[in-house]
Amino acid sequence: MKTSRRQFLKTVGAAAVGSGVLGAPAVLRAQTKRGVPSDPVKIGVLAIRAGVAAPVGAAGQRGVEWWADRVNKAGGILGRKVELVLEEESSPKDTVERFRKLVLQTKVDVISGGISTAVGLALGPVTEELGTIWLSWDATTQNGVEETIPKPKWAFRSVDNEAEAVGGAILTAKHFKGIKTVAGINNDYSYGRDCWATFMAALKRYTPDVKPVLDLWPKLGVTDFSSHIAAIQQAKPDLLMSSFWSGDTTIIMKQAAAVGLFKTMKACFTTGGGVHDSLKKDFTPEGLILGYNSMYFNHVGASPLLKQFVREYKAKYNEYPPYECDHAYFTVEAYKAAVEKAYAAAGQWPAKEQIVKALEGIEVESLSGRRGYREDHIMMCNFYQGVTTHKNEFDFVTIDPVEVLPTSRIQKPAGSKLYDWINSWRV
Amino acid sequence: MLAHALNVLLSGVFHAAILFLVAAGLQLVFGVQRIFNLACGSFYALGAYFGVSTVTVLTGAGLPRPLFIVALVAGGIAVAAVGPVVERLLRFVYDRDETFQLLLTFAVVLMMEDILRIVWGTAPTSTGGLYLIYGQVRALGVTVPVYNLIVIAAGIAIALLMGYMLARTRFGRIIRAAAENREMSEALGVNMRVVYVKVFTLGTMLGTLGGALVIPSTAAMSEMGIDLIVEAFAVVVIGGLGSMRGALAGALVVGVLRAVAISTWPELEMLLIYLIVIAVLVFRPRGLFGAAAA
Repeated sequence: MKTSRRQFLKTVGAAAVGSGVLGAPAVLRAQTKRGVPSDPVKIGVLAIRAGVAAPVGAAGQRGVEWWADRVNKAGGILGRKVELVLEEESSPKDTVERFRKLVLQTKVDVISGGISTAVGLALGPVTEELGTIWLSWDATTQNGVEETIPKPKWAFRSVDNEAEAVGGAILTAKHFKGIKTVAGINNDYSYGRDCWATFMAALKRYTPDVKPVLDLWPKLGVTDFSSHIAAIQQAKPDLLMSSFWSGDTTIIMKQAAAVGLFKTMKACFTTGGGVHDSLKKDFTPEGLILGYNSMYFNHVGASPLLKQFVREYKAKYNEYPPYECDHAYFTVEAYKAAVEKAYAAAGQWPAKEQIVKALEGIEVESLSGRRGYREDHIMMCNFYQGVTTHKNEFDFVTIDPVEVLPTSRIQKPAGSKLYDWINSWRV
Repeated sequence: MLAHALNVLLSGVFHAAILFLVAAGLQLVFGVQRIFNLACGSFYALGAYFGVSTVTVLTGAGLPRPLFIVALVAGGIAVAAVGPVVERLLRFVYDRDETFQLLLTFAVVLMMEDILRIVWGTAPTSTGGLYLIYGQVRALGVTVPVYNLIVIAAGIAIALLMGYMLARTRFGRIIRAAAENREMSEALGVNMRVVYVKVFTLGTMLGTLGGALVIPSTAAMSEMGIDLIVEAFAVVVIGGLGSMRGALAGALVVGVLRAVAISTWPELEMLLIYLIVIAVLVFRPRGLFGAAAA
């Protein structure tokens, strides 16, 4: 039948409205929420690329990249895509310049990164001066921090590095009985020195008459410990303590196995988990205390998020992720959560001050579990340490039992001094 | 007490064997070509990384694990093929001021650091547990890994070979002649250009072999080459620049003293070595075996 003009117009009109309705959601999805700019959020990332700590920097960067992929696939932060601007962390002077460039030239919204202590100390004052949120991955230790960044407004720091030494001492007292003499081999810089002092101070609370019989201070990057091992053998300690966290852990483990060192003494490697998948069963015995900092990849209580991360990381890089991945992941996940929280209150993309307020006391679901920032801008999380075992399906050691040590137990509370706090424990 | 002294001595000699190989390469090149090749440390690192790769590939392809040392030595020797390439680069500064030579070889060091990082990545690379595969020897209260003894034996063997080559073979005579008086040697018909390439490659090979031999006991890490240059410098000053015997003596002094310092006064380890360097420079500037200044 012949279509009348009215009928024709009705059909066209319906088609137009119909396609509009079908087309509209696609348009709506691309739009951000009310009060949110449409351009991407720029996150500056500072990662070490060369030298002994390069694998740590790479791990952190991979953690952030994995996070960014996930977040962008889910639509971004409040609909804004995330754009990472990667810069290298090297010497303090050069890193400060790159930090300034990220803030003043690239105009990033936030900076995530910073591993080495020296760089951390240099960046603190710069952050406060420029008024940019800086979320550090690592980079803190006792001395110097209180002087340069006493009450940070914009800088958010990682856990105190001595936490691992405290944890190691607690587990030594728990798992190894009769430790009377201790030898230490630590890297000759602030982290190594502080860890040794903290470990002995903490262990003394449990075993007041424990004595240090030898302390060795090879610098980072030494590749031959045979002479050090000879000295340790002569000192005949009950326990060897080491805060090695990079390739030197693997090397000393190998060279110690070659002379059967750990048949005659126990050992506590507070931070050796940083290179955990290079500690092969061939030369790493069972029964040593090994610390994995804030992320243990094989935790029986691991969340689906961690399991997925470990799976995808292994598939992509053919390695198992070390703890720096979670330090990095947490900083950017906390930033996102803080933005969302502040947005809910403000009704528009929040200003930096509002984001800082939201970050204080925040808690998020990170790779390793719940993590957060204290009111004084220091991370709160769990530390994972345990006793090495060969009973697993890998060619390297894992830990069993896995002791979960929260920062409330191994990190000094806000405003207190480390040794005062250790001496105040009820043991 | 004896056991401990023996332990210290053995660990010192092990370290000295590796230092000797790298320093010998340095001395050979300096003696003939008058170039202080800072890149000796980079060749050491290259030999280490390449050695790991060779072992990994060949044992993965079916080479029985106890034969890994064959793969290692083969890899260490094969990668010395970069020698002629670097030599070609250095040809530009043979007759120039020493500062140009130092700058150019230092540039090679920096470039090599990055090349190693690009090819092998940043994570420490090692041969895993193969170090322990030959077991240990227990004697006089001391436990020594057999592998360490193999490396010490290799160092001695190479020192003897080098000595024999320099004293008894035609090539050795040419090297000594070129080191003593280059113009006269050329006038007598020696093709200096070819000699230079051969000597430089031999020097490179000593470095790469040193790196390959040490790697099972340790791990290849960033900046291992740069750290070694510092020690090699001390070896060469103490032993005397340009002398093979100096390389051996200097390596033993540095290696054993380092081991002794670590056992007695660890904080002084590097300081002790440099105190000796200063003492040598003050009392016998040409080193223990160096030629007297003309």
